[in-house]
Amino acid sequence: MKMEDMPLSGPDNTKLESLVHDIYSELVEDACLGLCFEVHRAVKQGYFFLDETDQESMKEFEIVDQPGVDIFGQVYNQWKNKECECPNCKRLIAASRFAPHLEKCLGMGRNSSRIANRRLASNNNMSKSESDQEDNDDLNDNDWSYGAEKKAKKRKSDKNQNSPRRSKSMKHKNGELGTIVTSEPYKYNFNTGISYETLGPDEVRSLLTTQCGVISEHTKKMCTRPTLPDADPVVENDGFDIPDGQTLMSRLQWEDSSDISPTDSASSKASTNPSDSRRPKKKKRPSLGLNSGGGGGGGGGSSSLTGGSSSSQSNISLSTKKKRPKLSAPSIPSIYDDLN
Amino acid sequence: MKAAVNQKLTEMGERDRLKELLRAKLTECGWKDQMKAHCKEVIKQKGLEHVTVEDLVVEITPKGRGTDHCCLTSALITAPGRPPSTSR
Repeated sequence: MKMEDMPLSGPDNTKLESLVHDIYSELVEDACLGLCFEVHRAVKQGYFFLDETDQESMKEFEIVDQPGVDIFGQVYNQWKNKECECPNCKRLIAASRFAPHLEKCLGMGRNSSRIANRRLASNNNMSKSESDQEDNDDLNDNDWSYGAEKKAKKRKSDKNQNSPRRSKSMKHKNGELGTIVTSEPYKYNFNTGISYETLGPDEVRSLLTTQCGVISEHTKKMCTRPTLPDADPVVENDGFDIPDGQTLMSRLQWEDSSDISPTDSASSKASTNPSDSRRPKKKKRPSLGLNSGGGGGGGGGSSSLTGGSSSSQSNISLSTKKKRPKLSAPSIPSIYDDLN
Repeated sequence: MKAAVNQKLTEMGERDRLKELLRAKLTECGWKDQMKAHCKEVIKQKGLEHVTVEDLVVEITPKGRGTDHCCLTSALITAPGRPPSTSR
């Protein structure tokens, strides 16, 4: 029986309303009774007046209803316009900006070291200082670049000295690269780029005996992967499509290379033949080995090269460069030109 | 007829539902707090120790009935979610 379904005609309507009203008042009386029971029980149990303490406390915590103040009586933007003095730089900073300022000022926040390093890097690049190579070696990736602008951000030598990461990375990489680094007291800056043309022959030789030295065309970085004297030629050959990697190595062998014994023996044997046959395929590789042949001599099996000074390096570098023949082609020939 | 209506309501559980609904609405609109405050006055008048249920009832009920119900009445009647009922 739904109340609203009742027909709302005249007499019925009043009946209905009175009915409704009656039912309603019954319900209200029930609610009142319920409330009375509740209150009475609270009184008898003693918890009815619990929320009313003494008059003093009541006054103290009265609800405040003034403009500009919250119900506790506190002012909303009380500290908005205050200025705090930074203990570090002794400047007056606005309160809302105080915490970020401290972060930067003390150099302890998440971003503060990043920003500071970037700033220092750009400053250093301007002044063209040549930093300590050891730092660069330890903290760089395996690549270092030509362009100073590009790699300014990666300069880690000037990072926050107290940064925990610094000590971690130093410890970690010292084992790997420490030996190599100490043997190469170069003056050039790893980060600002290297050009083989600017280095002298001795420097190039010592550089290439210990590191890969391949300069990527895309990123203009030189690969600083440490080379292992005899292991690489064999390893690298596996990746070749040339059946006879050894002969290739020998083809490019310099006469007075004493470091690489396996290839030495082969050098005299396969001097001209393989080179010719492989010229179409390996245009660029021969150019690596050529220099005395007069300029980037694309073709020739110039295994019998006389510019022996850089032979050993070229062998090593070649072996490790086999995976990137094209990349080394443009730059290397010019280098060897200079050597001649 | 009123008895019949009441009986029907009770049978269907509508009465209880209405009662709960009313209680919720009264609390919501502050009626309950009003009544409680009145109770406090009465108790303070009569003294904490000697208050009886009857006293309270006598004081509260007329006041409770007197305060504004009209809106509640209609609200109760047209309360949403009323289950369909069988015709009388």
